[in-house]
Amino acid sequence: MTKHNHEFRDPVHVFVRLDTDERRVVDSRSFQRLRDIHQLAMTYLVYPGATHRRFEHSLGVMELATRVYNVVTDPRNLKDYNNTFSEIVSDRKRLDWLSVLRMAALLHDIGHLPFSHAAEKELLPEGWTHETLTKELILSTPIRQELEKMDLQAEKVVKIALGPEAATDFEFSPWETILAEIIVGDAFGVDRMDYLLRDSLHTGVAYGRFDHYRLIDTMRILKVPPPSPGSGEEDKSGDFSETSIPEPSFALGVEEGGLQSSEAMMLARYFMFSQMYFHPIRRIYDIHLKDFLAEMLDGGRFSTDTEKHLSITDAEILAKLHEAARDVRSKGHLHAKRIIDREHFKMLYERNPDDQKANTEAGKAVYEALCDKFGADKFRHDSYRQKGGPPNYPVQMRDDSIVSSLAISEVLKHLPLVSVDYIFADREVFPAAEAWLKKNRKDIIKPILKEAENGKAT
Amino acid sequence: MERLLKDALVTRLMRELRQRGSWCGETHIQKANYFLQELFEVPLDFRYTLYWYGPFSFDLRDELTAMRADGLIQIEPVDPRFGPRLKPTDKAEKVQELFPRSMAKYGPLLEFVANKVDTKNVAELERFATGLFVTRKLGQEASVESRKDKLMRVKPHVKDKSAIGAIQDVDSIIREAQALMLEQAQAQKPKSAPFP
Repeated sequence: MTKHNHEFRDPVHVFVRLDTDERRVVDSRSFQRLRDIHQLAMTYLVYPGATHRRFEHSLGVMELATRVYNVVTDPRNLKDYNNTFSEIVSDRKRLDWLSVLRMAALLHDIGHLPFSHAAEKELLPEGWTHETLTKELILSTPIRQELEKMDLQAEKVVKIALGPEAATDFEFSPWETILAEIIVGDAFGVDRMDYLLRDSLHTGVAYGRFDHYRLIDTMRILKVPPPSPGSGEEDKSGDFSETSIPEPSFALGVEEGGLQSSEAMMLARYFMFSQMYFHPIRRIYDIHLKDFLAEMLDGGRFSTDTEKHLSITDAEILAKLHEAARDVRSKGHLHAKRIIDREHFKMLYERNPDDQKANTEAGKAVYEALCDKFGADKFRHDSYRQKGGPPNYPVQMRDDSIVSSLAISEVLKHLPLVSVDYIFADREVFPAAEAWLKKNRKDIIKPILKEAENGKAT
Repeated sequence: MERLLKDALVTRLMRELRQRGSWCGETHIQKANYFLQELFEVPLDFRYTLYWYGPFSFDLRDELTAMRADGLIQIEPVDPRFGPRLKPTDKAEKVQELFPRSMAKYGPLLEFVANKVDTKNVAELERFATGLFVTRKLGQEASVESRKDKLMRVKPHVKDKSAIGAIQDVDSIIREAQALMLEQAQAQKPKSAPFP
């Protein structure tokens, strides 16, 4: 008997189920390639369990997207908004959009380069990202044809997979914005939910866990509280004239009872970033890998040709890396050796509150001074400041009023932000650089006037 | 433009807005920076796309979060019914002091923008900013009618009369901005030397 429903066993979600049409997309070359892309680049060199791949993460994102969709489009949960979105007025339409969402979730990462984010910015041509490659692949004939067999438009799948931030050449309806938010949303995107849970499980860093069952059960599509007074809630003349009402905006939020689980997710994110994703040794391995690839690849960059993209995975890069580490004549030998023989640069300086207070760009100042003194090839600077918006999402209170999460949650109000500034030094100069920095740090980090009062910038 | 100078300009603009009684939430900051960038070509390099309440920059959203991480701005949630306000800190003032020439050069432009945004509500900002977005897309030579139609296509809740008003406001403010830039250019021109 032909089987129409299939399932994968999954360590996070137990089962991920899919039908035969969806299974064909999973079996496509673009998706199977994700079996050979590590989710966390070379993190396994620090956390040995982190050998999981984009393949299972993508299946997990599809599973979670389905669970969220089924909760937020349940007519009992939509309450007053049942007729707001014409896209889901019938069960048939609701299921059609679910198919779009599931495929978008499944395919959202197919453009990833080998070793995921490790080297994306510097190793792709200007204007290209893994999202651009994802778009190209979804729109390419093999995937497009599979989607058409399911009566799905590839363009719609691209929009929902990437969202308004990455799919800038598409216009989004309010409904499409919400669907994209289910996958890549800043607050409750299931991409983030899955990677936190999965990375936590595989690395053994328990901070990434949170009660996602409770969180998903309490998620709702809600009207966003107006950004300021006089935005349609009230009017100078006391009425609701058209001139005072902006476009109504909807977003994913939570019921009041889900506030704590949403706070737990935000805290999980903070802890995972500060403890694991920005672990200094993990970061320096990424930098050595990037240096290796810049020397090894033709023209120092990955190709954006989809065929070439599909032909290169972590497996090919790892083979080259081992080869180069053993052969002094190979391109990128030095960087490969640093990774394979664990001779990575050591952390010499990291961001700290005292230096930050004196100079916002203390890390940059220290890095430049060290390069001047000992030579630029002996140091690497890794600087990151958190992106995305504040944890501001609508919360539906028990009396049905909708308020801003930031206004009612003390946890969210005081949620720390992740920012790092690491300087790594070659072991050869480390002792001398360390001593020199200790002696000169105060002078180095003094803020300098960037521009003279009159005349040229200093 | 270097990041620290960008931060100095954004925080100074926030200060100007707050001094004029603006709510100074993210929507106000988003639109004010859009005007600064588009009306005066200040090279902030924030990419804008149509999103919440008109033109919105995810780059600027990221930069605001980064500025919070650096202690240059703070969130001020004041009323649960509305979005949070944002406030520049004393540290932001110190950063601004590192760029005396740029502050002098861009100061009048920041004040101009702050005067236009000040106490406008979000609906007004949305219409005006989207009107400017549409004008940039179609060109100022495009008729008021065609730009109004485009504005109503991307913001269907805006009614005919308000859309025309927004486009007319855009044209008038572009003229004012051009006059201010001309005035600035003339003031900066070196005085011609007398004949020997």
